[in-house]
Formats: sequence, C-alpha cells, structure tokens
Amino acid sequence: MSKFSPLAEYEPQAGQYELLPFKFEPLGDGDVVLTNFVGEFAFVTRGELQDTVSKKLKPGSSTYGLLRSRHFIREQGDAASIELLGLKTRTKYSKLRNFTNLHIFVVTLRCDHSCQYCQVSRQSENKAAFDMAADMADKGLEIVFRSPNPAIKIEFQGGEPLLNFDLIKHIVLQAKKINATQSRDLQFVITTTLSMVTDEILSFCKEHKIYLSSSLDGPEDLHNKNRPRPGRDSYGRFVDGLRRTRDVLGYDAVSALMTTSPASLTRVKEIIDEYLKHGFDGIFLRHLSPYGFAIKTKSYAAYNVDRWLDFYREGLDYVIELNKQGVRFTEQFAALLLTKMLTSNDPGFVDLMNPSGAGIAAVVFNYDGDVYASDESRMLREMGDTTFKLGNLATSTYEDIFTNEALLNALEDSFTLSAPMCSDCAFENWCGTDPVFHHAMHGDVLGRKPESEFCKRIMGVVRLLLERMKNDPKAKEIFMVWANRC
Amino acid sequence: MMKLNLSKEIYCLEAVQKAAYRFIDRLTVLIENDGDELACNIDPVVGHEAQFEEHIADFKREILDQQLRKQIKEETEPVRNLILAYAFSRTGLQG
Repeated sequence: MSKFSPLAEYEPQAGQYELLPFKFEPLGDGDVVLTNFVGEFAFVTRGELQDTVSKKLKPGSSTYGLLRSRHFIREQGDAASIELLGLKTRTKYSKLRNFTNLHIFVVTLRCDHSCQYCQVSRQSENKAAFDMAADMADKGLEIVFRSPNPAIKIEFQGGEPLLNFDLIKHIVLQAKKINATQSRDLQFVITTTLSMVTDEILSFCKEHKIYLSSSLDGPEDLHNKNRPRPGRDSYGRFVDGLRRTRDVLGYDAVSALMTTSPASLTRVKEIIDEYLKHGFDGIFLRHLSPYGFAIKTKSYAAYNVDRWLDFYREGLDYVIELNKQGVRFTEQFAALLLTKMLTSNDPGFVDLMNPSGAGIAAVVFNYDGDVYASDESRMLREMGDTTFKLGNLATSTYEDIFTNEALLNALEDSFTLSAPMCSDCAFENWCGTDPVFHHAMHGDVLGRKPESEFCKRIMGVVRLLLERMKNDPKAKEIFMVWANRC
Repeated sequence: MMKLNLSKEIYCLEAVQKAAYRFIDRLTVLIENDGDELACNIDPVVGHEAQFEEHIADFKREILDQQLRKQIKEETEPVRNLILAYAFSRTGLQG
C-alpha cells in the first residue's frame, strides 16, 4: 500500500470553485477578454466564459489554471486570492493620497509661433498684458508647497515661456530656496519650441537641472506647416536648438512631443522616422485635442476618431516592426496603457486616471493668476468658458482652490465606477475620465460614453493592444518591455 | 421602427436598459411593460438607417452579455466588498 494518496485526492472537484469579481468584453474574433478586479486579463472563448460562470470548468484544464492563477476564480478556503486582490487595489490607488504633483506656471501667453491649433498664444509685444508677474508667481509657489506630495514637478508653459525667462529664473530660485527646508523631490521642466534658446538660458538650465520638453511634428515641411513663425524656420530652429541643448544639458535632457494635425494623418511613418533621425527613443502619437483647433478651424469633423485610430494603428505597427528589427523605440501612449494593463503600477497620466487627474494630479496657474484644474481647462477659458476656474492666486487660499465646488463636482460626477457603461466596462481599470473634454464636447462632465470620442479612442487603442498581444507573441514581449520602463 | 418582445422570466429590465444605453449612438430604444414581457420599441438614430438590421442583431447579443454581466456582478458582490475591505482598511497586510 502506498504511503501517499493518489493525486486525484488532492485535486479540487468540478463545480467547487467560486467566482471572483470580473468583467468581460467581446473581441472582434469571437473570443472574449476577461479583466479581474485590478485589471489583469485573460483571453477565453465564448464557451469557456459560459462554462466558467456555470461552474463547469474542469479543474485539470488549462483555462481553470489560467483563471485561478489570475484571480478570476478561487477554490473554497483559498484566502490568498482575496488578500492579493486587496493589496493590488491598494497599490493601484496609492498615488491618490500624495495629491498634486504637477504644477504648471503659464509664465506668458506671448509666442513667436502662430500655430493654428493653439488656442492660447498671443502675437504681442505687450509684456504687461500677457506675462505673469513675480508677485503672482510667489503666491503660486506658496500653493505649490502646500501640496502633500513628496515629489513636486514645476512645469513652465506659454505661449513661449522662454520669452519670460526672467520670471522662470525667479521661480526656480525661489522654489529651491523654499525647498531647502522642505526637501521635496523637486523637478523643473520648460515646455519650449527651442526657437528662442540661448547660451545664457542653457547655462542656467544646466546649473539648476532643468529639463526641456520640446515639439517636433515630423519632417521639415510638415513641422513648418503646423508651426508657422516669421521666417518659416521653426524646424531649422528646433534642430539647431536640439543640438545645442544636448551639447550643454546632455542627450536625454530634452524630449519632444508631437501634435497631430490633419496634414499628419497620412504621414505617420515619416513622422516616426524623423524622431529616429534625431535620436529619440520613442514617440507619443497624440490625438488632437478639440480645444482651439476644432472650434477655430472647423476642421475637427474631418479629423474624427476613426481616422485618428487608422493613423495610430499604422504607427504602432511600424514601431512594433522596428523593435522586431532590433531598434529600441517606444510608442509612449501605448506604454502608458500597457503599464496599467500589465503591471500593478499606475503611471499617473492625467487623461488615464479615475478619479480624474484634473486638479488632484495637476494644476495650472495662468499668467493672470487664475487657477485652472488642467491645461485643457485654461484653453476652455480662452474660448470664453471659465467652468473649471478654481480661483485666483491673488485672492484664493489653498483650501479655496482645492475644495472648490467646480473641482469636487467634476471629480464626483465623472467617476467611472459609478458612470453608465463605464461601471460595467472591462477596460475601466485601464481607462480614465476626462471631465473637461466631456464638458467641452457634450455639455456635461460625464458625457454619453457611446457618443464620446474619448471613449472610442481609448477603447480603440486598448482593443488594438489586446489584439496584438493575443495574436503576436513577439509583440507581447515588446509590450512587456515598454510597460516595465514607463 | 421595430418591436422586440423579451420574456421577463428570462431577461431583467436592468440588463435590457444597459444594453440600450450602449447602443444610444446607433439605436433609440424605448422599453415598456407588456404583460409578462418587456417590449422594446427600436428606431435607428439618424444616419444609421442602412445598418439597422446589423445593429438590431448586435443589440440582441448585447442583451445576453448584459444578462451575464448582471449574474457575475450579483454572485461576486460579497467578495467584491471583502476585497475593498482588505484594500482600504488597516489589515496588517501593508508593510
């Protein structure tokens, strides 16, 4: 007689498992994707989904093992899966308690460019009218250092912020002075076209470890078309500024962001090649926000989300192909989503946060002291809509700003876990909410999701990423690398 | 317009309402009681007339999915609350 009972003695009996919370969405090929409580996912067939819910899964089957290991089902007495899901939920929301990290100072609205999609810039020599004053900036810093976040990022935006570099210097020096006793992890970023960069500016940036975030829209003709300026030399100035900046600050101290215009839509490979040519290791294939561009040029209809998704798909597949050929290059929007899909980390990207990142992840101090919940909120203001104005630095306290009803109502009313359709959506864990966008496009902060371009865009990209992972193991390997370096 | 009658014994109002909401950009669905049935009066949204039949077929599939979602949600409600209790209370699980 054997000392041990046969293996069958230890195997669970069919039908003795319990469902853990999960959601599902059909995929185009007839299969479904399941997502568990924290957004871990599994692909199964329709039949396997039915068997799972009907408790007909066979304990020895690969599907049973998959769904048990990823916390879709648990056996009787199995407490670990509940505890692990609890811990992962806690990790997922842990960034919320740190509150605001990104503080944007709009130091001037003046700009040397006149981009058609930009809502805010002014072609003006009148410094007094469109520059932030030093005393206003000081009040802004008082608000910045009330944030409980141990990491503080101060970003300078415009217009072209280098046109008011004296104020940038003032803010950097003051912030460092305050931080001498606060010991926050303090970072500075200037968002600039690099067209006005000088040796003096670069020297100051080097001394104070200031990072530059620039703009590159693609090949020379496209970039110059998107970004008109006197002399039509935006691209040439960018290339020259990039070289000089890298020489002084270091190769990785400057990044580039692209704006997608209708003229970009047929040229995604050329745009990516342009980024490779300049030695960037990734690109953010951005959608175009409706602010300014849509309303001002009335060409937003020609630029709908389906057309953008075609552009994105072509670009993503090209980047995947480059990686397969050994070129390390990341599509950064995919990387943000994949970090949420494949890890327990939340990259804290404002558009992909629930509750919304408006105000609680980022806040904007406009040139005139008005405080807005996000960059898009201040663009709305330029269209005459001050819904998301949270106060003014001259008169409002920290408490006034962050307990403003405009902010709290927007956060509560757009919360996805209680929103129609979102609350049942299998992609909710990876998605976000965008109250400012929905207010601008639909007139309320929640919007009807079936009609929402935000929803269609995120759903479209998520489905694309899932399809590539399901059907292309090599693409999944590449995605794993992106998700873990974001 | 087309009418779709669903047995209340098999389909619950919540599932039909959620399915109708998901199609709000393509179909206008008005739901009313009709004895032992839920009667759906369905019209295409302007611009979606040509795909009406296709949308109706998708809508029927969505009702089934919503019914299944409801079943999973109800069955897992206690454990969902337990997970949230672990996540947001001091259980000693945190380091």
